[in-house]
Amino acid sequence: MAQQEVDAGAAAKALKAFAAIVGAGNVFSSEEDKVAYSDHFAPDDMEEQHQPSGAVAPSTVEEIQAIVKIANEYKVPLWPISRGKNFGYGGAAPVLKGSIILDLSRMKKIEVDAASGTVLVEPGVSFFDLYDYLQQQNIPLWISVPGNSWGSVAGNALDRGVGYTPYGDHASRICGLEVVLPDGDLVRTGMGATAKGTTWQLYKPGFGPSWDTMFCQSNFGIVTKLGLWLMPEPESVLGFDIDVDKPEDLGWLIDTLGQLRREGILQQSPSIGNWLRAAATMTTREEWAKPGEVLDEKVIAAIRKKFNIGWWAVALRVYGPVEITEATLKVLERSFNGKPVLKMSPTRWVKGGAPEGSPATGVPVTYPLANANWFGGRGGHLGFSPVLPVSGDLALKYFRRNYDLHNEYGFDYHPSFAIQDRSMNNINQLLFDQDNPEMVAKLDTLFRTMVKEAAADGFAEYRTHIGYMDVVADTFDFNNHALGRLNRRVKDALDPNGILAPGKSGIWPSPKKGGAA
Amino acid sequence: MSKITQSFVFLSATLVLASVAYAQGGGDKAQPSAKASQMGNTGMNALQDRTASTPAGRLFVEKCAMCHRQFGMGTVLLGRRMPKDQAMLEPRKDLTKEFVIMAARQGIGNMPRIPRGEVSDAELDQIATYLARGKK
Repeated sequence: MAQQEVDAGAAAKALKAFAAIVGAGNVFSSEEDKVAYSDHFAPDDMEEQHQPSGAVAPSTVEEIQAIVKIANEYKVPLWPISRGKNFGYGGAAPVLKGSIILDLSRMKKIEVDAASGTVLVEPGVSFFDLYDYLQQQNIPLWISVPGNSWGSVAGNALDRGVGYTPYGDHASRICGLEVVLPDGDLVRTGMGATAKGTTWQLYKPGFGPSWDTMFCQSNFGIVTKLGLWLMPEPESVLGFDIDVDKPEDLGWLIDTLGQLRREGILQQSPSIGNWLRAAATMTTREEWAKPGEVLDEKVIAAIRKKFNIGWWAVALRVYGPVEITEATLKVLERSFNGKPVLKMSPTRWVKGGAPEGSPATGVPVTYPLANANWFGGRGGHLGFSPVLPVSGDLALKYFRRNYDLHNEYGFDYHPSFAIQDRSMNNINQLLFDQDNPEMVAKLDTLFRTMVKEAAADGFAEYRTHIGYMDVVADTFDFNNHALGRLNRRVKDALDPNGILAPGKSGIWPSPKKGGAA
Repeated sequence: MSKITQSFVFLSATLVLASVAYAQGGGDKAQPSAKASQMGNTGMNALQDRTASTPAGRLFVEKCAMCHRQFGMGTVLLGRRMPKDQAMLEPRKDLTKEFVIMAARQGIGNMPRIPRGEVSDAELDQIATYLARGKK
């Protein structure tokens, strides 16, 4: 890979020049600042390998443009973050050590078009900010939130995060962007490319090529405003919370839900999680086993009994007028007839009643992050997230292999399967103890083994940690990595000095004079 | 750089999650009760009080409450190792300004460090003063 090194002297000069643009109070370069923008949840050595050399926090588009010009002048890489809460995938930290964090968390403008059901957000707007805004303004629109809602609405959509409502495929609801390009030019995509941009947040394609997706998980521009469709508050949300008893129940459960999803009867993205996903937010490992001891079925049974949870669990919800949701619920019920469910508890919220108050109804949460504390002390977690076909047989086979691998390497298996229209995001949280060097050492091997084994079956990740972006990009190897070549040609054309987030998604600029091949 | 490593003492068994969050709401909203299995699997009844009556309180809500009020990650984890009535920060009487600032900037256990771009020194000072107001 074309690893570069950041010139520390140039970075220091750039930081000084940034202070003239944003004020010295918004440039951060102390040792404490560098650590604050590092990856809190990664092992220490990995955290160190991705430490930035400082940060700059602009509050306007003009300031960003001026910063980008200086970065080009000094050839110093910037790593833009929206709010830096991409936990499990690197947090605020850059791929390339010594990059300067472009912290956009001060940019928090929200413009809602209540009649059209759209919002235009700046990168610093968190899910809680947007939720609060809609509540305070009494706007009957719901947001879709991810399991950790501390982060940025825009950043999460751009990194293709997922939530639990019918709008849970966040990237698919993006409609129009404003982007500062690596040379400082400012562009608006779609219908925003007209001077007035009246239909910017209404029509995605625009005229000619569509560029929105080009700025997802890429390093081709700095998104400064993001349009997003919001769900009109439904009249009712009905559903079932389903628990199943045995590991092998995963197969029929996926097949049943996959069919409902393809038919459009289920329009949300149900996420099947195992017992540990639920338990890790409620208890810690040391209450159940000695360090290093494998959690066998007996221990798992005890934990499940205590918290009254299935081996797997999933929440299904249908949204809309009561006539429709009640009818749909009957169809859901019928599709589970004769299946070995452990528990199937109906849920019902009708407008005017006490709110369900869950992520499935657009309520932001952070408590799921407590799972990183499973080992107590300094918890760590790393996401391994391959995309799979919605096939029960295949998922079972894959689950068993990964479960065995986890046990072999001494990790507790913490998977979820989020079912989309035609695919599943299998998000595995590799939970570890940062103060257990043996475990940390095995983490890297386990991760690489799982990537390799998935790739052998033709599966690849939808999203990955900053430490593994090259590893994952390398699995996209059709025609000797033709996609990588295309990405690099676009990168070189837009960002000739390679100043924007080098290494993001495995995209590196071509080596320049003095650079490595 | 130093990270704080703490050995946690578990004062109570689990399930503070459901009880703690309702025991001491910062506000006056009536909240339904949550069962552990509901929380663990679906996050039902995770509604948080997002109100505040002072500017400093509002800053706390904007910057900290997502983790440090009802059902926040911090509340869940503090509930594991503190007396139940101390899982949330606002009602506490033992917090000092210095401790709050240190915790935010250095992180504690699961709590990531809060960078200055996200919460400025001046804002953190206000928040710390607000949280230390109960200390005699």
